[in-house]
Amino acid sequence: MPSGVERTFDEDEIIVTKTDTKGVLTYANRVFLRVSALTEAEAIGKPHSLIRHPEMPRAVFKLLWDSLKAREELFAYVVNLASDGAHYWVLAHVTPSLNEHGQVVGYHSSRRKPERAAVAAAQEVYGRLRAEERRHDNAKSALDASWAMLQSLLDQNGQTYDQFVWELTNASAV
Amino acid sequence: MIRRGRGGDAPEQPVGEALAQIARVCESAAAGDFEQRVPRIGEEADAERARDAVNSLLDVTDAFIRESGAALAAAAEGRFHRRFLTRGMRGAYRNAAEQISQSSGRMSEDAERVEQAAQARLQLADELESAVLTVSEQVATAATEMGSSANGLADFARNAVGSAEQGLTTVTQLRSSSDQIRRAVDLINAVAAQTRLLALNATIEAARAGEAGRGFSVVASEVKTLATETSASSEEILAQVNTVQHAAGDAVRVLEEVTASIREMSRLVDGIANAVDGGPGALEGQAGLAQLAEVLRGEVNRFVSTARQ
Ligand SMILES: Cc1cc2nc3c(=O)[nH]c(=O)nc-3n(C[C@H](O)[C@H](O)[C@H](O)COP(=O)(O)O)c2cc1C
Repeated sequence: MPSGVERTFDEDEIIVTKTDTKGVLTYANRVFLRVSALTEAEAIGKPHSLIRHPEMPRAVFKLLWDSLKAREELFAYVVNLASDGAHYWVLAHVTPSLNEHGQVVGYHSSRRKPERAAVAAAQEVYGRLRAEERRHDNAKSALDASWAMLQSLLDQNGQTYDQFVWELTNASAV
Repeated sequence: MIRRGRGGDAPEQPVGEALAQIARVCESAAAGDFEQRVPRIGEEADAERARDAVNSLLDVTDAFIRESGAALAAAAEGRFHRRFLTRGMRGAYRNAAEQISQSSGRMSEDAERVEQAAQARLQLADELESAVLTVSEQVATAATEMGSSANGLADFARNAVGSAEQGLTTVTQLRSSSDQIRRAVDLINAVAAQTRLLALNATIEAARAGEAGRGFSVVASEVKTLATETSASSEEILAQVNTVQHAAGDAVRVLEEVTASIREMSRLVDGIANAVDGGPGALEGQAGLAQLAEVLRGEVNRFVSTARQ
């Protein structure tokens, strides 16, 4: 399905989506639809994994959901797959949406255009995680292995994932 | 124009309904609820544009609110790497984002300065600690040395006093021996005078006996000479004894002075020994030098560990 064609978007633009608490799309902005080559009708009501790219490691999505469940924000480098097979890299900021009683009513993500150098570094790490995942034939053990590897890669640098992302981001001055 | 859709999947709706949709979403946003977005309100380009415009405004405001709060919270928690990304923000949004980013940058610098000051304080504490450790070790060593020197001196002073007292006894004995000698010499003198008188009488008797007494007269003269010599020797002995007695008197005075000085010295040395090791002679609550060094070290340790907190 991926065509290998890379798509980008403007530095002034942000890609915005909202989901319910299960990750089902409830809103997508114009930029999201354009870059993902989707119509509103194709996107709304679908799980966010609609644009999942096969080269994204499972460990990163575990981190995403763990953070949201802990009601914390997460910044992550993510590559997404458009319906026409093109892919696009984003620097995503994912946060829970709270109502006036402080209850989580859904999730929100706004994404910016990342710098090339940061993408290259993320791609390198994700490539290793994906290679590790491919060595396992079931999803559970693939996730466990890639999670363990991500932790050990970060430990080697004495970093958290958050620090890893921000090191790339601040170095490339987004 | 919103009134008539040109087919497609969007429902046709009157302008009033479309405006009411926009108004509802804007009212929610004004009330602080940024979860609502304007749904499709018509097929026409103007309707889509109006909808996108309102939604974009909400999107950027929503994103700005989420990020600014989190960026400030992160800075307050010391996670200074988490900045406010200005990319995707325009105009006033961008300016505000830059300001927040710069503020957390400055907070990071301040935090760094505070950290440096804390480091400097810790280093100072380390230096103070090691200096005090060195000094107190040296004081302890010096105290030990002074203590043993003082003890040596005290022993020495005690011995010296003992020797001087022994000397006094000896000289006093010498004095009384001289008195006995003087009495003996007096006796000898008396005997010599008696003998001289006897010899004189014998000479007179020998002269009276004439030729027969000549030999006896020689003996009497010899005896007289002997008695005279004995007297002379006695005078000499007396003079010697006087000299000895004089010298003994001087010696006693000197020895008494020496003893007094040594006693005074002994007292001073005891004072030093007490000051050094706070011995039994020390005043109540008065610590020795070694203890003082230990107390100083303890106090500095307390100070240093407070400084390290
Ligand atoms: C607010 C929000 C935004 C998300 N954005 C993306 C995204 O851009 N790309 C993506 O692949 N997954 C995204 N996800 C995660 C998906 O829900 C899903 O966990 C992920 O695609 C992995 O899917 P899988 O478990 O089927 O492999 C997002 C989730 C939430 C809650």
